[in-house]
Amino acid sequence: MALLEVRDLKTHFRTDDGIVKAVDGVSFSVEKGKTLGIVGESGSGKSVTCLSIMGLNPKRNTISSGEAIFNGKNLLTMGSNELREIRGNDLAMIFQDPMTSLNPVHRIGHQLVEAVQLHRDVSKKQARARALDLLKAVGIPRAERRIDDYPHQFSGGMRQRVMIAMALVNDPDLLIADEPTTALDVTTQAQILKLMTTLQHEVDSAIIMITHDLGVIAEIADDVVVMYAARVAEQGPVDALFKHPQHPYTWGLLGSLPRLDADVERLVQIQGQPPSLLNPPRGCRFHPRCPYVMNICTTEEPRLMPAGDHRDHLQACHLDQATKDREAAKLLAGTMAEAS
Amino acid sequence: MVRYLIRRLIWAVVLFFAVTVVSYILFFIIPANPAKQACGQACSQKDVQRVAHNLGTDRPVYYQYYKFVKGLIWNQSLGFSYFTRQSVNGIVGNAAPVTASLVFGGVVLWMLIAIPIGVLSALRPRSLLDRISMTFVLIGISAHPIWIGLIFAYVFGFRLHLTPITGYCDFINPSTDCGGPVQWAYHMVLPWMTFAILFAALYVRMIRANTLDTMNEDYVRTARAKGAPEWLVLRSHILRNAMLPVVTMLGMDVGLALGGAVFTETVYSLPGLGKTAVGALNNYDIPTVQGVIVFATIAIIIFNLAVDLIYAWVDPRIRLG
Amino acid sequence: MAVSPTEAPVESPGVDQNGLLVVENLKKYFPITRGIIFQREIAAVKAVDGVSFSVRQGETLGVVGESGCGKSTMARCIMRLLDPTAGRITFDGRDITNLSRAEMRPFRRELMMIFQDPYASLNPRKRVGFIVSEALEVHNMGTEAENKRRVQELLDVVGLNPEHYNRFPHEFSGGQRQRIGIARALAVNPKLIVCDEPVSALDVSVQAQILNLLKDLQSTFGLTYVFIAHDLNVVRHISDRVMVMYLGHGVEIAPKSKLYTAPKHPYTGALLSAVPVPDPDARGKKKVVLEGDVPNPINPPSACWFHPRCPRFQEGHCDVETPPLYSFSEGQFAACHYPLEGWPLTEDEMRRPSSGPVS
Repeated sequence: MALLEVRDLKTHFRTDDGIVKAVDGVSFSVEKGKTLGIVGESGSGKSVTCLSIMGLNPKRNTISSGEAIFNGKNLLTMGSNELREIRGNDLAMIFQDPMTSLNPVHRIGHQLVEAVQLHRDVSKKQARARALDLLKAVGIPRAERRIDDYPHQFSGGMRQRVMIAMALVNDPDLLIADEPTTALDVTTQAQILKLMTTLQHEVDSAIIMITHDLGVIAEIADDVVVMYAARVAEQGPVDALFKHPQHPYTWGLLGSLPRLDADVERLVQIQGQPPSLLNPPRGCRFHPRCPYVMNICTTEEPRLMPAGDHRDHLQACHLDQATKDREAAKLLAGTMAEAS
Repeated sequence: MVRYLIRRLIWAVVLFFAVTVVSYILFFIIPANPAKQACGQACSQKDVQRVAHNLGTDRPVYYQYYKFVKGLIWNQSLGFSYFTRQSVNGIVGNAAPVTASLVFGGVVLWMLIAIPIGVLSALRPRSLLDRISMTFVLIGISAHPIWIGLIFAYVFGFRLHLTPITGYCDFINPSTDCGGPVQWAYHMVLPWMTFAILFAALYVRMIRANTLDTMNEDYVRTARAKGAPEWLVLRSHILRNAMLPVVTMLGMDVGLALGGAVFTETVYSLPGLGKTAVGALNNYDIPTVQGVIVFATIAIIIFNLAVDLIYAWVDPRIRLG
Repeated sequence: MAVSPTEAPVESPGVDQNGLLVVENLKKYFPITRGIIFQREIAAVKAVDGVSFSVRQGETLGVVGESGCGKSTMARCIMRLLDPTAGRITFDGRDITNLSRAEMRPFRRELMMIFQDPYASLNPRKRVGFIVSEALEVHNMGTEAENKRRVQELLDVVGLNPEHYNRFPHEFSGGQRQRIGIARALAVNPKLIVCDEPVSALDVSVQAQILNLLKDLQSTFGLTYVFIAHDLNVVRHISDRVMVMYLGHGVEIAPKSKLYTAPKHPYTGALLSAVPVPDPDARGKKKVVLEGDVPNPINPPSACWFHPRCPRFQEGHCDVETPPLYSFSEGQFAACHYPLEGWPLTEDEMRRPSSGPVS
């Protein structure tokens, strides 16, 4: 059985302008010890999905439905006390901006010890020893002295390591990482990704990695979910997605990446911008920007169907298989027609 | 740190001179004759001149200022009142505890009101509690302390006989039949409430805004993600940060408050620094006024320095120097 | 701080004096002061510490580096938004290093900038028409009617609807706002545009739109770009030559084709190696992961600035002798005594230079 099974998750926010459907029917599963990548742009709902799983959305004005079964229990219907026992314990999360994610007026030792003592009945001394172990494991130099420093005395990369230490201190089964390296330099990103994959194997945690960077996905993910406008456009094993992408949005994403290893005269660009989640387009949400749009796309919403090459590879697009295969092949050959 | 303190000390001295010089000059711009005031209506021209000579007001301004500074530094004396001939040190010494009681008691009261209301309003924005407290804020800021004082005195003192209307009782020495801590507090209740309302209103608004901002910070989300219960998130993460700016504001506001104390003291006839200064002004009694100014200036300087040091202690990101 | 133009002494390698923009030995230090009454300078943040390069008319120079390398400070010095501490900046043949604000005025028409944050770089209280035409008015470049027409032309050129002349910035998306910023820069027909991370704050799909637009505009209007970014992929796509910066210095300059296929400086190698490639098959490839953090620019390392983190650090040489910008074939320059012999290299090959130092 999967460690986390998410079924038809929906999260809607009541605002003054109406109901914002931030997540509108997302399903996926995460196996023990594996890494799931959730990729999408701003407004795709990738962050809100994970905040919903953790129960960190504001209580008022949030309407959640669906299931998130973790270790046999549904996180979305759990009482807040029970959920609190799991958070920071079996289920941990790290966030995007390490500069603001740590409390500036408490020493990091204090914050780490707090994380331990919330879930383990140990003395302060024991908690501190455990915190020190983790700081060393994440590569903080001279950890014995730095444990009593304040967050502002650390660089961005070091702070993110502290965040990772804090998340892993209670040996979680699942770590959710919300764009942990977006705010960091590329060399620091490489360090952090290497650290995360190393620790993942040592602790045998599963990871959900949220990112907009397909390169990061290709490097560390086993499975991928591509989100667009609060829905899943395509999902499946990482090899299947990169070798046989089936959704025009995925083609757009792959084609619009400037490459290090190839020279492309003109980047594939996706016209327009992501839609409003108050009033998403009728039919397929991607249709206003899709270069392959057909009549049916404007009226009927495509359902997630198997892509044919792998039983776990699903995609939601009305295009016929032959066209998809052809366009995917063109993309990978680097001769994709420019969408204009 | 030492460098910082030395710099502050130098500024304090500069400030002290600036304030006293300016107030001396102001006095000499006012078309007043302290000697005539001191002597009385029945005095003749010659009598007035004699009084002027005794007081020293017939000498030039800068000489009088020089004598003042000399007296302060050599004898630690603020001079003698033109009007009553009493030592200004004594006058100020008697009035200061009254004002101090009013101001510090008022500070405690306004914080006791403002913190719970501000925090609760922020935790439940746009609820009934929030709307009521914002109305209270509006009234508290708009209404003048004198008006509030008179209303309170009328309602609680005169009509309901709950508290005395005027008078001050010594905290320690019962020199009259009114004395001791209980009587002291009893007489101060109304003045404290009057004094505190304005600031409580301002602080409710500020604390509410700070708490609302802090609640949205990323580190609060991190704390919840660690599984911290709401009370711990509130105490250790939200309030610990939201209250930081309040410390700075307190420092500045105690300075303002000393000024605002004048109104409250007048309404309730408390013999504090404010009332003393106002009375002395009416009599063109320069030394007394100067004495109050000097005392207030030094008090504010010390208080601001203390607040800055406390702030640096409480917020680890601040490094003085 | 006094600017000493005489401090641009020797002919800096790789600098073509006929370029549209010539920067020689540019330095910008931010002083740190201390004192009780009189502030004394006790140290300085050496944000830019000797950068030299040139940009020819019509080409794009990419400047890439991580946070703290000084690229943004350098951009602002070129634009004279900051006063350089030392060095010489020559634009279109004229030395603009020390010009006063008034003297600099006419040059501001020719030298424009596009900023990183599309949300912060547009005045939220002004309409788009005003934002784009402001420079035209400042330089008295036309009547009101002419300017309005020009603004509408520009909005069209950058892919926006000219009817939106009277809208406010908040009514546009991030990508659209960046287009407004580009229109603003183009309004006065500049010769050179400094692009300071113009796509970093944008989504990937929008990034592609803006990059394509910048390339099109360059060929249509004959523009010259200095393109600053931290994303190597983006820089590769748009540049002709690339300069890599580290801790306030330019450590390598090369034509695009050479930099990405045959980098010479170990830092360039580490940067290239660190970029995640969107290809799952590339997963097995060993990466060179740099340890540690960028050093403090107040107290930079001795001699070679990269030596504390360099995988091929040779003790006794790299920490003693500052490497000059050695010249390699075809316009490639790198400041390293033990440049990379080839690319890609395994981690072992990175750590062990196979040949002796460059002579």
